Amino acid sequence: MRNHIFNKLFQAMIVLQVILFLFNSAYAHKVSAYAYREGDKVFGECYFVDGSPCKNSRVQVYDSKGNKITEVTTDEKGKFKFTTSNTGQLKIVIPAGEGHRAEYMLEAAEKVEKKDIKKSEPEKQPEKKEIPKTSLNKEELKQIIDEAIDAKLQGLRTELMDLRKQMDKISIRDIIGGIGYIFGVWAIIMLLKRKKNAS
Amino acid sequence: MHISEGVLSAPVLITGAVLSLAGLTLGLRKIKNEDIPKVAVLSSAFFVASLIHIPIGPTSAHLVLNGLVGMLLGWAAFPSIFVGLVLQALLFQFGGLTTLGVNTFAMAMPGVLSYYAFRGMLRKGKNLAFAGGFLGGALALIIAAVFISIALIETEKSFIGVAGTLLAMHLPIAVIEGIITGFVVIYLKKVKPEALA
Repeated sequence: MRNHIFNKLFQAMIVLQVILFLFNSAYAHKVSAYAYREGDKVFGECYFVDGSPCKNSRVQVYDSKGNKITEVTTDEKGKFKFTTSNTGQLKIVIPAGEGHRAEYMLEAAEKVEKKDIKKSEPEKQPEKKEIPKTSLNKEELKQIIDEAIDAKLQGLRTELMDLRKQMDKISIRDIIGGIGYIFGVWAIIMLLKRKKNAS
Repeated sequence: MHISEGVLSAPVLITGAVLSLAGLTLGLRKIKNEDIPKVAVLSSAFFVASLIHIPIGPTSAHLVLNGLVGMLLGWAAFPSIFVGLVLQALLFQFGGLTTLGVNTFAMAMPGVLSYYAFRGMLRKGKNLAFAGGFLGGALALIIAAVFISIALIETEKSFIGVAGTLLAMHLPIAVIEGIITGFVVIYLKKVKPEALA
């Protein structure tokens, strides 16, 4: 009798949970942040697991030694940007309030730039004759290329951001798995208790 | 309701861990073997409740159901909520492993308080039982918000500020949880009155 009622209760809970899950595409609180460099500027975004932005939240930036470099605030869309000459690893911390906090490590920029220079030098040599014709010096050319690449990368970056947000979302698999784990843990506790009582 | 990793200082974390450990020990001792299915069901209900998220003003808050868990389990709410929190931390990164102690105490203790305050009402007639469930469910959430604010005093500096935000955010949730708890109590009264005895 007892078991029968618990079965019913359990079924009711599962049904309730599935229904609530289906009607709610938005989930609770985990704050995530993401940032990328564009020259000496850093752009970033901060959002809750459900994809909603963290508005007007403080963003603290630390260098690799833990010194605070700057502090900015996110806008209405959860986006933030700052300018820094520091090319080392940066730690971006977002204390979103009420005990929430996100951290993002922005990798050092130096390595990427060095690679670029090495690759571009041999390629540019045969073209050297053309450069004087367009009366562009190396710096200007580099700037133009950078701008063109940035524009092309923008779409990719948005896509990457969307992907990241999707990855942070909770899947129904995780939820069902979690419920399974909980029952497993309690089954083990029950077993241990029974053994103790028996001995 | 879940405090993230890296927000609290060591003394706060240790205090929370010690308090929760005491509650866990007491809770595990009080659980009878035949109660374990009930504890497991409520563990998973707590686990899922945190995913149900209700937009309020600029941010959003989620259900906790700590009042329901506490009123049905008493001190066993500590292990029940602890197991739910461990899995939330591991699977969804809600809260964190270092803040488990603080989070467990902040959510389980108000449930236990509701148990002692309103358990008597659950055995009375239907209306009184619903009222008991409502009060127990709603107050447990409000007290939990106060506990979380206390834990955050050091980090946020102004206690009134955090407590105000947290309470404003959780008052609607408290009403919703009160209603849910009330209905669950009435349902249990119908199908399994001995669960409330």
